[in-house]
Amino acid sequence: MAYNGGPMTEAMYYVLLALMHPNHGYQLMHAITEVSNGRLKMGPGTLYGVLSRMQKDGLISLSEDDGRRKTYQITSEGEHALRTEYSRLKSLIQDGNILEIGDENG
Amino acid sequence: MDKTVRKLRPSDYWRIGEHESWFQDMAAKGFHLKKMGLRFAHFVKGEPKKMRYRIDVTMKKKITPEKIEMYEDSGWDYVTGYQYFQVYSSPVEREAPELHTDPAEQSFTLRALDKKLVFIVVIVVVALLFIIGMMSAIWFLDGTPTFVLVDGFVVQQTIVSILIVYLAYISLQAAISIRALRKDLIEGKPINHHAPWKKHYRLNSVLAFLFTIVAGLSAIVPFGQLIKSDTQTLPEGNLDLPIVRLADVEQNPALVRGESYMIDDVDWGNRYRYNWSPIAPIQYESDENGVVPGKMWGDGSGEYSPSINTRVYLLRVPALADNLIADLIKRFNYEYSDDDFVEAKHADLDLLIVHEEDEIKEVFASKGKAVIYVRYYGYADINLVIENIVDKIKLITE
Repeated sequence: MAYNGGPMTEAMYYVLLALMHPNHGYQLMHAITEVSNGRLKMGPGTLYGVLSRMQKDGLISLSEDDGRRKTYQITSEGEHALRTEYSRLKSLIQDGNILEIGDENG
Repeated sequence: MDKTVRKLRPSDYWRIGEHESWFQDMAAKGFHLKKMGLRFAHFVKGEPKKMRYRIDVTMKKKITPEKIEMYEDSGWDYVTGYQYFQVYSSPVEREAPELHTDPAEQSFTLRALDKKLVFIVVIVVVALLFIIGMMSAIWFLDGTPTFVLVDGFVVQQTIVSILIVYLAYISLQAAISIRALRKDLIEGKPINHHAPWKKHYRLNSVLAFLFTIVAGLSAIVPFGQLIKSDTQTLPEGNLDLPIVRLADVEQNPALVRGESYMIDDVDWGNRYRYNWSPIAPIQYESDENGVVPGKMWGDGSGEYSPSINTRVYLLRVPALADNLIADLIKRFNYEYSDDDFVEAKHADLDLLIVHEEDEIKEVFASKGKAVIYVRYYGYADINLVIENIVDKIKLITE
C-alpha cells in the first residue's frame, strides 16, 4: 500500500522532518529525538521499517551509499507530503482552539 | 567446545511473543539460542543470563547489512533467522531501546507475510477439497469401506490425506494468528514479549510426536506392501496355502490346466497373489482355470472349463469379519440382488453365506479372524466348495 496522501503515522512524520537534513541510520535516531524535543525515542526496528517503506513510496531517497552506510534524504515528493501533513496538523490544532476558548469561558 | 542442546520448540512459529518469551526464559537457565530448526531449537549451554529477545518479520531471505548495523548500533545483536523470522537479542543490562516503538508501524512489517499466508491457505484448501473428494470416492462410492480398509491399497493415500488435513489446519491457524496480531498492532497493542508459552509447549510436543508417527507410517506402509505383495503362477501340484484348488473341488483326474496368457512370466489365468495391509497382514487371492478334455458343457457351448477364484484374509480383529463379508458381497456381486445370498449354518464356521445359480457357486465364510470368499464356476457340488473352505480356514486359524 503506497502512501496515498492520507494522515501520516507519527513515525513517518518525524522521520521526514529529521531528513530535511540528510542523515543515516543510527544518527537519524538521535536526530528524531532532537526534532521531537526528546519526546520521541524511535526504536531501530520501527525506524528501519519506516525508511524502507518511504523509500519504496518515493518520499525519501538515498543520497549516498558507500555499500555499508546508507544516507537518506527527503525527495521533493516527500517534502510536499510533509508540508501537506503539516498544514493538516496545523488545521487540526487551529480547529481545536475552541477547547481553549471553552476553557477561558469556563 | 560449546555444548549444543536441542529443545523441541514450544509453539508454532507465528506465535511471536511466545517464542520471544521462551528464548528469554531459556537464556535465564543458561541455554542461549544459536539456531532454529524445523522442530527443534539449538541452544549453547553457558552461564545463565538475563536477556531480551525480539523477533522481526521480513519476507526477504537476506537481511541487509545496514539493518544489522542499525540494530547493533542500538544494542541489538542478530542471533539467527528461520523462514520469515529473524531473532535479535540484547542483554538486559545494556538497556537497549525497544526494537519497535510504534505498533502501527510494526503492523506494516507483517503485511507481506499476512498476504502470503492467506495465499497458502487458499491453495491448501483447494488441494484439500480435491483430496477429500477423491478419498471419499475411493472409500464410499462403492459403499464398501471395510473392504477398502482391509485391502489396504489406499492406506498410504489416506495417511497422506490426514497429513494434508493437518497442514491445512496449521496454515489456517497461521494465517488467522498473523491477521489477529496485525490487527492488534494497528490498534496500538504491542506484542507481549512475556507471553506464556508452557501451554502450547505440551500441545505442540504431542502434535509433533503424532505427526512424526503418522509421517513414519505413511513411509513404511507402502514398503511393507511392496515387500510382502507378489503375484506368481499357481503350481499344478499341492501348495501349502489356504487357497481352495480347482482339482479339490472338481475331483476329476481328467482335469487339466486351461489355456491362459502370460504377463511378466506369470500365467494370468492360474495365479496367486499374496498381499499385506496393516489391518489384514495375511491376504491371498488366486485364480485357476481348468479343462476336462472331451467333456462338454450341458448347453453344448464347448468343452467343460471350470474356474475358481479365492480371496483369503486374516484380519487383525475378528470384529471386522462380518462387515468384510458384507462388503465383499457388495463389491463382487455384479448382477445379483442381496436376497440371492443366503445365510447357512456350519458347525466349523462363524458365518457362512452362499449363493448358487446354475454353474455359479459363491461362498463367503469366516471363522475368528479368517475370511474366505470363493467364486466357483462349474458343475461340482457347492458343499464340496464349503468343505474345502473349512479345511483351508483351519490352516490359518489354527
